[in-house]
Amino acid sequence: MAQALFDRRRVNGPEESFPPVYDSDEEDELSGSNLNTRQGRSSADIRPIYLKPGLINQANGSAYIETEKTKIACAVYGPRQSRSTTYNEKGKLNVEVKFAPFSCTRRRAPMRDAEDRSIAVLIQQALIPSLRLELLPKSTIDVFIVIIENDGIEGCVASGSIAASTALANAGIEMLGLVTSCAASVVNEEIWLDPTVNEARLTRGTLLLGFMPALGIVTNVWQTGQLTIEEAIKSMELCKERCLDIHSVVAQALLDSAKEQ
Amino acid sequence: MSGGQHIVRIVAQRGIGFSIDRVVCRSPIITINFVDDAFVVAPKGNYRNIALETGVAPLANGSARISIGGGPHGIGGGIPGTEVVAAVKLEVEDVQTEEGVDGGRIVCAVSCSPSAYPNLTNNALDDLQSDLSSVLHQTLSHSSLHPPNLTILAGRKSWLLHLDVVVLTDSGSIYDALFLASAAALRDTRVPRTRGIEYKAQSRRATEEDIPMGDAGRSGFDTRALKKSTDFELTDYWDEGEPLGKSESWPVCITLSLLPPIHYLDATPLEESATMSRLLLFFAFPNSASGNSVLQGMRLLGPGETDLQIMKTLIPLGEKYARDLKRGLDAKLHSEALRRNPATRNKMAR
Repeated sequence: MAQALFDRRRVNGPEESFPPVYDSDEEDELSGSNLNTRQGRSSADIRPIYLKPGLINQANGSAYIETEKTKIACAVYGPRQSRSTTYNEKGKLNVEVKFAPFSCTRRRAPMRDAEDRSIAVLIQQALIPSLRLELLPKSTIDVFIVIIENDGIEGCVASGSIAASTALANAGIEMLGLVTSCAASVVNEEIWLDPTVNEARLTRGTLLLGFMPALGIVTNVWQTGQLTIEEAIKSMELCKERCLDIHSVVAQALLDSAKEQ
Repeated sequence: MSGGQHIVRIVAQRGIGFSIDRVVCRSPIITINFVDDAFVVAPKGNYRNIALETGVAPLANGSARISIGGGPHGIGGGIPGTEVVAAVKLEVEDVQTEEGVDGGRIVCAVSCSPSAYPNLTNNALDDLQSDLSSVLHQTLSHSSLHPPNLTILAGRKSWLLHLDVVVLTDSGSIYDALFLASAAALRDTRVPRTRGIEYKAQSRRATEEDIPMGDAGRSGFDTRALKKSTDFELTDYWDEGEPLGKSESWPVCITLSLLPPIHYLDATPLEESATMSRLLLFFAFPNSASGNSVLQGMRLLGPGETDLQIMKTLIPLGEKYARDLKRGLDAKLHSEALRRNPATRNKMAR
């Protein structure tokens, strides 16, 4: 079977090609593998967030989020008329996620694959309880998320949810509250919040929580790996507290952007 | 019970035309029944009857068929319940040249028969398949569940385990059925026994010489360089192989349909459309002796509002239900193994 799919819209390179492996990459991987304490920040710290709404003028609403090595741009188009002819009493939320080919260590093919869709489903789950879709019959809200640099799937989903919620607020769509999201991973006996991709390799279980601080409700829970029940509940508590902090960051960014206009 | 009356009111207002009794009468105590494939016992408790059969695909390395709530005459006839078939196929993969991983890897895929979802378009069906596959794959292919005996030649060849699940009909509780069928098929899987061989040139003709993988019998003072096996063979063509390792720790799924402040199990399609959110809990019981449980995965689905406090009470309850389900599954698989093993069948026939 040919490894490289023939993409007729692009100039295809040679059939077999491998990315170069640099010595420094290998050193990074080794140094991260035997750590008991976290490097660079404490276990309850998340990476600093840079969030800017209103970056894409063409869209109804947009946001760009950057946390160290995760960079995501989000654009919201809508509410606009549904393409389908069947009558829908409630509006539809359509989330599409795309990885830029240069976003990961190894080049990703521009084709949509299963991983794109699984991240889109998670972000959609986080956003749906916060939107007043019953006010938008026959309409669709399109959320397009482009991942420019990727530092772990949990980071992508968490940052993507925050960016999408900010973009929806920037677009003026009626919401019950802002959704913020945080991931936790259990390494040995400690719970580390907001794991990078190297830290995620050490963990035996991760949990991601999407939370709406305005109403105090959980919108999304995603857990993989092995955790005891107590660890899972403790992680959810820690994530929830961190989500409250992120909420103030998002609210401040939206206020600043509204003042500028 | 004020909680129960609350439910009756909401359902009546929405005008949903199914028996309200079914929802109100649910008590928190669960009984799950596994039945022989021929007869249906009148449903008691909170979960429809589950029929299970292993070894349904003779060409696969392991397989199982599950029917939740299937009508009279069990699997394949009468009232359709949720029917799911899972099968495991093992393929040999090269670690160096192909995508193989040293130690083997597991890939899960779900495919939905269009007859199970007659109302969905092709695209919607593809999306549903992709969603079910990703939930199954993320949970089952995690490194904590990885079985130890998927290596053939260390660093060269390993087994790629394909778990394919087909949904034949869907009448609610699809995730529970998928994971039950997967657990049963994986526990039914036998990995063929292999032995490494090395080709050694002898004088002018190349002949084959067996060097068994285990170095039993070799002297500790052997100063020859350790030869690496480059190929492998099946030790016994007719032997089905050894059971897949870590078979006790495959997780089961419990779907809790949430109607705060109550929850219920095993939603039928009508109940599913009336319930705004559900919580999927995947529990594994890796050590059957000590009986401790681990949470192997968790997923919240649906547009409903969920409180963190309520979730904290739901998780231990889900663990109890999962424990009952696992106990039933263990008992049924044990009786299936007895039924299929001819040696014990002859003993039982006497």
